[in-house]
Amino acid sequence: MVIKHMIEDDCADNGIRVPNVRGEILSLVVAYCNKHGPVQNDSEDNSRSDELKTYDADFVKVDQATLFHLILAANFLNIKSLLDLTCQTVGDMMKGKTTEEIRKMFNIKNDLTPEEEEEGLIWKNLVVASTPEGEEEFRGENQWSYEIW
Amino acid sequence: MEWDSDSEPSGDEEGFLLSDGGPISFNIGSFLQAGPCGFVVTDALEPDQPIIYVNTGFELGTGYRAEEVLGRNCRFLQCRGPFAQRRHPLVDSSLVSEIRKCLDDGVEFQGDLLNFRKDGSPFMNKLRLVPIYGDDDIITHVIGIQFFTEANVDLGPLPGSLAKESARAGDRFQSDLSFHRLVSVGQGNICREYCGILQLSDEVLCQKIFSRLTPRDIASVGSVCKRLYQLTKNDHLWRMVCQNAWGSETTRVLETVPGAKRLGWGWLARELTTLEAAAWRKLTVGGAVEPSRCNFSACAVGNRVVLFGGEGVNMQPMNDTFVLDLNASKPEWRHIKVSSPPPGRWGHTLSCLNGSWLVVFGGCGRQGLLNDVFILDLDAPHPAWREISGLAPPLPRSWHSSCTLDGTQLVVSGGCADSGVLLSDTFLLDIMMEKPVWREIPVKWTPPSRLGHTLSVYGGRKILMFGGLAKSGPLRLRSSDVFTIDLSEEEPCWRCITGSGMPGAGNPAGIAPPPRLDHVAVTLPGGRILIFGGSVAGLHSASQIHLLDPTEEKPTWRILNVPGRPPRFAWGHSTCVVGGTRTIVLGGNTGEEWMLSELHELSLASSIV
Repeated sequence: MVIKHMIEDDCADNGIRVPNVRGEILSLVVAYCNKHGPVQNDSEDNSRSDELKTYDADFVKVDQATLFHLILAANFLNIKSLLDLTCQTVGDMMKGKTTEEIRKMFNIKNDLTPEEEEEGLIWKNLVVASTPEGEEEFRGENQWSYEIW
Repeated sequence: MEWDSDSEPSGDEEGFLLSDGGPISFNIGSFLQAGPCGFVVTDALEPDQPIIYVNTGFELGTGYRAEEVLGRNCRFLQCRGPFAQRRHPLVDSSLVSEIRKCLDDGVEFQGDLLNFRKDGSPFMNKLRLVPIYGDDDIITHVIGIQFFTEANVDLGPLPGSLAKESARAGDRFQSDLSFHRLVSVGQGNICREYCGILQLSDEVLCQKIFSRLTPRDIASVGSVCKRLYQLTKNDHLWRMVCQNAWGSETTRVLETVPGAKRLGWGWLARELTTLEAAAWRKLTVGGAVEPSRCNFSACAVGNRVVLFGGEGVNMQPMNDTFVLDLNASKPEWRHIKVSSPPPGRWGHTLSCLNGSWLVVFGGCGRQGLLNDVFILDLDAPHPAWREISGLAPPLPRSWHSSCTLDGTQLVVSGGCADSGVLLSDTFLLDIMMEKPVWREIPVKWTPPSRLGHTLSVYGGRKILMFGGLAKSGPLRLRSSDVFTIDLSEEEPCWRCITGSGMPGAGNPAGIAPPPRLDHVAVTLPGGRILIFGGSVAGLHSASQIHLLDPTEEKPTWRILNVPGRPPRFAWGHSTCVVGGTRTIVLGGNTGEEWMLSELHELSLASSIV
């Protein structure tokens, strides 16, 4: 791919190293539009939508940098379906992950104060339902009482 | 155009365009005024560069829909309106030649071209054409990026006129030629390696990514770094998250909870997920339900508790209606005067549909079992019961179970028919239809027939059935089985909750609640089910609260520890849920006399004063 004039490489001074291949993002966008662009006939709807689903699933199997550049491109160029697809992919990566796992996965530095970080942990610690193994997590000061019916 | 208009023009997003630092670039001001940008892809391998893709920005900016332009060359935009055959004379032909030359030479074009929308109105198309090279250095596609700005042209009358139009082009065109470069800058999070996610705008992060996560995931995200911590403080984001996670019906109900707005969606989501604020409370209310009775049915309409029918002294079936408004400063039971009440009954079901309608079905009346349907609009100026003659009704029955779907459909199942036969069928009635028709849900297999079980709706149109007095060979035994059915499927079928077909493997993990009937089942936002109360075999405590999440991979029973004093008794038919978060147990402290001046409430959120 030779789109040299599309490449933006200007971040040396603030310490962020940007991969030098972002010109390829545009070619990916074009490929996506090429696949999704033509209007479908109604009769081919089912097989075509399955085909598109497979295409989409493969399309987002890219490294993180590419994925985020695709999001930026889709947002800027207002290509809703590509934006939805790429954002859904990022969302799926986050599902069910702990805070630390998210940090590691997306390479994010923790710049919170201990108090701020504590707030999120409270969500985890206050699960009141006991687990089947018999571990029970009691809450706070309130004693609970019940009568036998 | 999704610009965060508060951010610096050298914004955080687009790093891959407009890099050559040429003399003309796009003014941010004209961006924001111009609205969406158009994006076009043409096939360079086909003759005359047919369009193969346009985005919605193009459709909005030009007024042409995608179907109208696919396969055509873009030059139609130089014609004024869809019926003109030739390029409009005011279009700068030297620019058009330049476009041709750039395409032939395989280089970029940049310029401002006069174009026309479908309705004939002119606009300045700030156009950038970029050839895309394939593997063999052959141009396979050309992309066009358009920004739509005002054109200050005097065009004279609309197309059709052959009169010469005075050309006052040139100096009339607006063009702001300040220079801006769009570079990609990190959002203050300096890390040694690439961190892509923080390059996205707040809007994209919240609306497109976070809004689709569950409340628990948002809590994890909020502890990641300062920026995400700030973003997840936004209550509007929490509202979107709650709506996506719990459905719009549930969120609508929660909005009506007094004090919910003060609490905020963030807190509501947290409390309804961790259940940290769950507590038993006692309420004392005024008024009286007289004559006294048992086996009535209770149902919530908004913040009001409604009670209908019941079994009075001498087993007399009753048909009066009482309302308790929990929003009032001094709530008290009121007998409401309604015209044409249904025949008296007990062992019936009372459900709320369509916001304020109460629906009675079945039960045992003076002359035996019933299968009629009566509706009352509580908010009507003169409330009156009216019978719905639903065609092909189910068998008359009592102690059946019911639930509602989508706020408009009544589902009933099981119960006890004439001569004591237990039923296992499932019927659906859409009361919004002009002539409502009962429809039996055809299934290949049903769980053993039963009465006094519960149906809980979760995840849209999924129903979870629990407990009841079930047929077991020649016997009837209290059950603690769990079955589910998904009515959104084409051919719904009952399943054991774990999905397994093997005998014994159908039960969830964890410690199951003791078998019971006429218990209380409450669906929490997010799909978890709470079970307590009812008639429990042996000496087990019925006041313990059991929790089950049918959406888990491996559904597991858990026990919920709740402070406060629970009622001595809690029966399904006289318990209802107000505002999605308050379970009101009527007659909970007495076994024989049903005194309704003291209510017990299991509240899940601390939204109440």
